[in-house]
Amino acid sequence: MGGELTWGLPVILYLFLAGVGAGVGTVSASVLLRGGGGGFGGDHFRLARIGALLSPLPVIVGTTLIVFELGQPSRAFNLFKVINLSPMNIGSWLLLVFICTSVLYALAFLPSFMPEMKHLSDRLERVRRGFAWVNVPMGIGVAVYTGVMLGAMPSRPLWNSPILALLFLISALSTGVAAIILLRAIFRRKSADPATEQGYHQSAYLLTASDVMLIGFELMVIFLFIMFAHLTIGNMKYAVSIILPGGDMAMMFWVWVVLIGLLLPGLAELAYVLPRLLYHRHYAAPVAVEVLVSIGVLIGGFMLRYVIVVAGQVTGPMGI
Amino acid sequence: MNDEPRPTSSRRGLVTAMIGAVMTAAAAISTSVFRGGQAKANGNSSEPGTKERKVQYGMVIDVRRCIGCHACTVACKSEFDVPPGVNRSWVEYVEKGVYPNVGRSFLPRLCNHCSEPPCVSVCPTDATWKREQDGIVVVDSGLCIGCKYCIQACPYDARFLNPVTNVADKCDFCIHRVSQGLTPSCVNTCVGGARIFGDLGDPDSDISKLIARNQVTVLRGEMGTLPNVYYISADHTDEIDAGRPEVRKVEVITHRRDKKRR
Repeated sequence: MGGELTWGLPVILYLFLAGVGAGVGTVSASVLLRGGGGGFGGDHFRLARIGALLSPLPVIVGTTLIVFELGQPSRAFNLFKVINLSPMNIGSWLLLVFICTSVLYALAFLPSFMPEMKHLSDRLERVRRGFAWVNVPMGIGVAVYTGVMLGAMPSRPLWNSPILALLFLISALSTGVAAIILLRAIFRRKSADPATEQGYHQSAYLLTASDVMLIGFELMVIFLFIMFAHLTIGNMKYAVSIILPGGDMAMMFWVWVVLIGLLLPGLAELAYVLPRLLYHRHYAAPVAVEVLVSIGVLIGGFMLRYVIVVAGQVTGPMGI
Repeated sequence: MNDEPRPTSSRRGLVTAMIGAVMTAAAAISTSVFRGGQAKANGNSSEPGTKERKVQYGMVIDVRRCIGCHACTVACKSEFDVPPGVNRSWVEYVEKGVYPNVGRSFLPRLCNHCSEPPCVSVCPTDATWKREQDGIVVVDSGLCIGCKYCIQACPYDARFLNPVTNVADKCDFCIHRVSQGLTPSCVNTCVGGARIFGDLGDPDSDISKLIARNQVTVLRGEMGTLPNVYYISADHTDEIDAGRPEVRKVEVITHRRDKKRR
């Protein structure tokens, strides 16, 4: 270890925030399109709406961070003077489109807050669905490109894995779901109407069950990522040893990413999801659990980016 | 990617740039993909016989003649006013073994001007490219945005962010000297004659003969970058070799701000 990081905290934060925003946008749009979201007041409409409103914020904050991390922030528009096959170039275009469409998608939800604008809101349903159709592929694109960008270099053997992009995608979706759960829990107002309460828990179940599935996938992808790097003789095995037991970043990885970020939240969610899944019991997780679990997942998502980005830079090819 | 002068950073308005970019997007995508494919095809057919480049400048570093005096480092520093803390060219010391079985060798370093430069393929603004006319990998400081992607992608750590200009910087084989028929400044100053510069595309050049007649190695050849800087009698010992019982102790002194090779 040692040496200065070429890509430091701003880039790590960007990778995390862009992942969260892209994940939130993708989840919100998918729920609107295929979650029975339907029109005003539909089952998951509120869930799609809170996601739509949140999604552009982390992406814009993260993008601001990396623009000012550039050596020449004023030249950021040089990225859009060309189109080439650099993952960063393609990612910049995806990011540009996603920021625009996610902001418009969020704006299309605003009239639904005002009952007197119900007519307008109903008319905007088609617009929302249109942007939702764009946001799903764009959100996935933004989440995937961050991993492709890191993976495109043989000089950084830890990153040079085809499964890193998949790992970042699943982590983006999982942290996106967690961000929506957190926001819903924070802004929740108990309703006297049992139907509204029922709807809240219905959406909460959809989110939590999805998160359990995503966390399961993420654990599997992490296992494959580490296993194949370790089974490869040479640069990748040498590089991955930094996060394996005995490595300099092993504690950080296994405690913060795997235990706090995946295993504990996944098990907690599973404990609430299973009774409903197996015995069709009523699903109602306490707000405190929702908050703790989602914060754990978000911390894990950040620490995943942190460990991968730092470990990839302090390790290099073996020999000279 | 051609001989025409590259556009420097024109400060077009945001709207103009965006509209122009969007309008040319489809066309540019197909062109760049097509060009990429074409380059690949050329690369595949570049087996002996078919010519791909007329001139490919390269260097041989005969480590047997290097005395580790850093004259090349200093000459390069003064030639380009390279700011403190960063280097276009530098000399590493490698000490290995345990007394009385010890050895020390020198490893002069610079950009390898690779035939498959990873820095070029990752550049998002086309600010760095390999010149057709002489194979030198150059950076357009007017287009570079300082994203540091090329610095990550270089397996040789040959690139750095210039702390004064805030754009990517690296060795350019002293284009301003070479184009006038002179040798690069580090070659010119080398007291032991350890650096030999010339055209690898010409089989009769001194450097080509030297490579043909000697055992040469390149750095990190497994990266597939096809470097154009060759070494004679280089010691490729790295700190990881300290794990070998016959070596036991290795100290690499990079003489750089980043104390370790990466």
